Amino acid sequence: MSERNGARYVVATDVGGTCTDAVLFAAGEPVRLGKALSTPPDFADGVLAAVAAAAEGMGIATDALLAETGLFVHGSTVVDNTLLTRTGASTGLITTEGFEDTLTITRGAYGRWAGLTEDGIKHPVATDRAPALVPGTRTRGVPERVDYKGAVLRPLDEDAVRAAICALVEDAGVDALAVSFLWSFYNDAHERRVGDLIREIAPSVYVTLSSEIAPVPGEYERASTTVINAYAGRIARDYVTTLQGLLKARGYDGPLLVMQGYGGLLPAEEAAGRAVGMLECGPAAGVIGSRHLGQLMEDDDIIACDMGGTTFKVGVIQGGAIEYAREPMVDRYHYVAPKIEVVSIGAGGGSIVALDPVTGVPGVGPASAGARPGPVCYGLGGTEPTLTDVMLLVGYMDPGTFLGGTITLDAQAARHAFEEKVARPLAMSVEEAAIGIYRIAAAQITDLIHEITVERGLDPRDFVLHAFGGSCGLLCGVFGAELGVKRIVVPHTAAVNAAFGLLAADIVHEYSVTRTLPADSPAEEINAIYAPMVERARAQLAAEGFTGDAIALDWSVDLRYGRQVHEVTTPVADGGPMDDAAVAWLAADFEALYERKFGKGSAYRAAGMEMTMFRLSARGLVERPPIERSPPGDGDPAPALIGRRDIFVEAAGALAPADIYDFERLAPGNVVTGPAVIHTPITTIVLQAGQAGRMDAYRNIVIELG
Amino acid sequence: MDPITFSIIRHRLFRVIDEAVITLKHVSGSAITNEGHDLMVSLYRADGSLLMGGVGFLHHLTSAAEACKAVIRRFEGDIGEGDVFLTNCPYTAALHTSDIYLVAPIHHDGRLVAWSACFVHVYDIGAMVPGGFSPDSRDIFTEGFSSPGIKLVEGDTMRRDVMDTLLNMVRAPEMVALDLSSMIAANNVARERMVALIEKYGAEPVDEACAALVDQSETLFRKRLQELPDGRWEARQYFDIEGETCRVLLAMTKEGDELTFDFTGSSPQSHYGINCTYWASWGGFFAPLFPLLCYDITWNDGVLRPISMIAPEGSVVNCTRPAPVSLATVGAIQSVNNAACTCIAKMLSASEAYAKEATAVWHGSHFAIFMFGLNQRRQEAIGILTETFGGAGGARTWADGIDVGGEIPNPIGRMANVETTEATFPVRYLFRRARPDTGGPGRWRGGNGIEFALVQHDSPEGGINYVVSGKGTEFSMSEGLGGGYAGAPCAYRWVHNNRAREDGRNVNPFPTSLDEMTGEAETISWGVFPLKGDDALYVRSDGGGGFGDPLEREPARVQADVQAGAVSAEVAARVYGVVTTAGGVDEDATRARREALRQARLATPVAAE
Amino acid sequence: MSATRISATLAVNEDRAIACLACGHALGPAGAPWKEHARLDEQPMQGAGGAPYSNAERVLLRRFYCPGCSALLDTESALAGDPFLTDIVRV
Repeated sequence: MSERNGARYVVATDVGGTCTDAVLFAAGEPVRLGKALSTPPDFADGVLAAVAAAAEGMGIATDALLAETGLFVHGSTVVDNTLLTRTGASTGLITTEGFEDTLTITRGAYGRWAGLTEDGIKHPVATDRAPALVPGTRTRGVPERVDYKGAVLRPLDEDAVRAAICALVEDAGVDALAVSFLWSFYNDAHERRVGDLIREIAPSVYVTLSSEIAPVPGEYERASTTVINAYAGRIARDYVTTLQGLLKARGYDGPLLVMQGYGGLLPAEEAAGRAVGMLECGPAAGVIGSRHLGQLMEDDDIIACDMGGTTFKVGVIQGGAIEYAREPMVDRYHYVAPKIEVVSIGAGGGSIVALDPVTGVPGVGPASAGARPGPVCYGLGGTEPTLTDVMLLVGYMDPGTFLGGTITLDAQAARHAFEEKVARPLAMSVEEAAIGIYRIAAAQITDLIHEITVERGLDPRDFVLHAFGGSCGLLCGVFGAELGVKRIVVPHTAAVNAAFGLLAADIVHEYSVTRTLPADSPAEEINAIYAPMVERARAQLAAEGFTGDAIALDWSVDLRYGRQVHEVTTPVADGGPMDDAAVAWLAADFEALYERKFGKGSAYRAAGMEMTMFRLSARGLVERPPIERSPPGDGDPAPALIGRRDIFVEAAGALAPADIYDFERLAPGNVVTGPAVIHTPITTIVLQAGQAGRMDAYRNIVIELG
Repeated sequence: MDPITFSIIRHRLFRVIDEAVITLKHVSGSAITNEGHDLMVSLYRADGSLLMGGVGFLHHLTSAAEACKAVIRRFEGDIGEGDVFLTNCPYTAALHTSDIYLVAPIHHDGRLVAWSACFVHVYDIGAMVPGGFSPDSRDIFTEGFSSPGIKLVEGDTMRRDVMDTLLNMVRAPEMVALDLSSMIAANNVARERMVALIEKYGAEPVDEACAALVDQSETLFRKRLQELPDGRWEARQYFDIEGETCRVLLAMTKEGDELTFDFTGSSPQSHYGINCTYWASWGGFFAPLFPLLCYDITWNDGVLRPISMIAPEGSVVNCTRPAPVSLATVGAIQSVNNAACTCIAKMLSASEAYAKEATAVWHGSHFAIFMFGLNQRRQEAIGILTETFGGAGGARTWADGIDVGGEIPNPIGRMANVETTEATFPVRYLFRRARPDTGGPGRWRGGNGIEFALVQHDSPEGGINYVVSGKGTEFSMSEGLGGGYAGAPCAYRWVHNNRAREDGRNVNPFPTSLDEMTGEAETISWGVFPLKGDDALYVRSDGGGGFGDPLEREPARVQADVQAGAVSAEVAARVYGVVTTAGGVDEDATRARREALRQARLATPVAAE
Repeated sequence: MSATRISATLAVNEDRAIACLACGHALGPAGAPWKEHARLDEQPMQGAGGAPYSNAERVLLRRFYCPGCSALLDTESALAGDPFLTDIVRV
């Protein structure tokens, strides 16, 4: 698939909880960024506003721009939003008789504590489950049973199914149905038959089958996924269809591609049926963007950080490969779908700085002042000091130039609130206390990154750190140095991270088959499992206009040691089909991956190795124009120097004078030497003493540490 | 100490434990460790006192401290850098022999600065019965190997002779080796991170922060105790093993900022392995105490300082060697948990400010079924059915208990999927669900427990064996609070020849409840049994305790429970006095019914008569 | 302050008597066992709830009621002959 002839632009839009971002570019033109407020529930308005913002100054109307656009890629938080606001369909569940409570009892306490912080977990009396999306009263068990080999032990009782459908639709008034039977990922015949019966009896009801949306072992997580998809399915479908119609009406007649949580795009028509696929796609796009930037800069080991108003998020790319989450959750509901692992803590610019009411020990977040009332210094009514206020107090932010000068920060108010609520109770000066809080925030972030690198056998010193988001540039010089990363990159697109990632993504269809086979099974047995998947993938990509070199098929197999629970997705090195030597290599690769991930001595070989899941990732490579590079000039940043003021310098442990630069006036090749601050229209980058930041050909600021 | 550094160091200490726990789970790929979270890692100060307890099975936080102290006493002068010590002797520190502690000194600049300790329930310990729960044992000698302290690793080198000797005494030695490796790895990670912390902040500031952290917990806990009323509260637990009835009696006294747990009057030690040792009782009441009274206080030695315990020697809560203890964790320790939960809850509910923290007992029986035999792939399979971690929440003073909602002493347990168990053992589930009417009635209802039934499926030997260590089949162990009733007792049934094959009639291979099972149901509660042929095992766990007067429960909630199938209409009418109909509460009938029940109450005699 | 709470259902009133929180009925002096003054219904636990309680034949459910208003003040499970559990809160 490629952009249509004469249609120059590629447009990416990402709808987040607060803001909608747009990135657009064309061959030979600079990358343009736009931001607008999100507009739930009619998100499309915000999408068009963000595109208009990006096109500002181009002298072209949105409709004309869309008419000249060849590719429109899109990510949205609409499904997350449906779950968080509990505004999905009235949903029913049909399941195996005798196991009707699977969803509501959430594997025991699991659903009670999963998703809580450590403090929450330590206080069990105060905990509860989130109410199930399908209560027991809208769940019906029907006679049927399949065993662990996929053998039918008890045939499906179709009369009971008909009765269940009628009861749920007519009496309970559901307009969406989830179907999830035991072992259906081995044998989906019963679920498919129930799907047919629903379409026959109640054609207007939205249906999701577990064997289609999540054909993986584990009936609780599978049922939960199926229910989430049914619950949000119609909203997701209507959303995608509406956006598609609106774009067409505004002059765009190319394809609409929709981002998935695993970091790939799906054509709108297919995405519309997979609501769960859209969960957490914004952070996933961020990681994809980071990987793309890494490819441009020839880095393939990256710690991708994104710090916004409420959270600090981090994902890891190793050897160009992305980590996938093992037990993803949305709100407090489990689901199983391939999803890029992004870990977060409640530390963002809006995070409230407070002393523990009992111990008096200072802390940052997780409570947030959000965008409204926001930090005290915004003057929008915020009274609780936030991390952003601290940044102002340590000299990192310029009251006059924030957000391009659109808001004047009230330093006096920030100082007053911080002194009263933090510094004085700590018996410290405002500066001392602010520096202390800044250090606590940096330490928390260091600990989080430590958790997702060192604890997984990765050494941060081998990694490049990407600092995305409005607040990351303020802290990365400190936590990056403590982690000892090779270098820090603050990307030009730092403030529109997810939308930038959309530009870099390909169409990706994920397929999987669950089977347990010994790791030394004959290659033809494995190839036979893949054959139907490969055929389906090729047909699908062909229908989407991909042929030849534009198709990539990646095989990977989940393996584990016998009697062990940890599975490792192991790529098939040379793709498929496999021969017996390749099967042996796969097992060897698994062992190496396992030891790296779970530590030396963790391998348990006595009970052999098993393959448990066969995955196919089928990619349609989307063509795009290359991103514009500017030729580097000389190193002297003097023309961009706009002032000098005192800022916190970590090495000095105190405020000290530093140079202040304007990002817009920096040119590629310029080198800024710390201690220094670079103000961009949206973000601020702090260089600590001894750090030098160079602007590269893509206008990224690169800080070498190693 | 400077509050900023203190805050950072405290956060880092949390992370040290968390990292060690992840390492432990990673290396030990076993289901009980990973699904059940039946593990613990904590940090201890140089003298062996608890510095920071992790979230795991909380009985162990204090017992591992005793393990550290025992090693310090026993190996004085012989504790070197890179050593790891093993102890699993219940008369020294451990809860039972299957729960092995590995404790490791942490040195900095040649000086011993701290200890890390962890435990897992190992795959096997060489007891009479595979898996370590050994109902047939009548003394500690038949409960597997037991060491009061042995050096397993010396200067970062495994002592092969010791390891080989240990592994020579267990079934599935490779699995036990992996369990031990996982604990060594966890201790190594804890040590590395702790040393890194000291190197960044300096030995003295870290030591000062650790001391401050312990003092802070003590100060905060004493302050909390001061805020609670003085008094003396009693609790009593019964359990029944093979016709023996045991009592655990607890009187908890609070005076000022101190608490005493007195078990005087508890039964003499049993012939069966449900006894527990002194340190197990000590850990047994701390397990609920930490989350109930110290939910916002760091769990460390500071919390221990205001507490004392009286446990009579030779009793079921302080047995004398060589009494058997292999089932202590689901036996007497569980009763200590429950009794402590009740006394603490009574104290909390005597305070306006803290009443919201009170709870009736959760998951009182902690029923456990251990399976062993060959699985469908002809591999030896030993393991616990993880429904034991399913639990049932006790009612709170402001909310119902959580159906199949876990337990207090292991805040993050969970049970495996049916599909996971069916893939691991040669069994098929007939049903698994929350059991209506098991939660104790009350103004706030206790959480319902779980019920399930299994048959063998594809077993190469025609079946598999299971260990039942039942107690709480005759007694409700999840006591109610403030007028709430205790939860229902648990039940085990061996359903003989569920599928009546002789004449082809009455054949029901797919019963979805005990009532639908056609075979003869034999009540069992103790011992090793086969699950073979067409027999079935039915298990029902106990429900959580209720809170408050059932007649005070809002009728709409009772109606909702009946509609959701959590409470039967019969119980709604008889116990709650609420008459439910398909269309909603019958208000008039309910009013009349409740009035009649209240009148009946007033017709009962005064207790003194 | 007129009454001080000593449990979920009881308080000590200004006359230093233990009193029902619901109706104020007095149940003896503060600091002394109060259960003897309550009405007692002692039945096998198996009657406490539905079918799952059927095994609890031997153990008794003791229900202590307020003689004034019939409110359920406390419960115990006990074997016949075992003494009442005594809770004393000092006010």
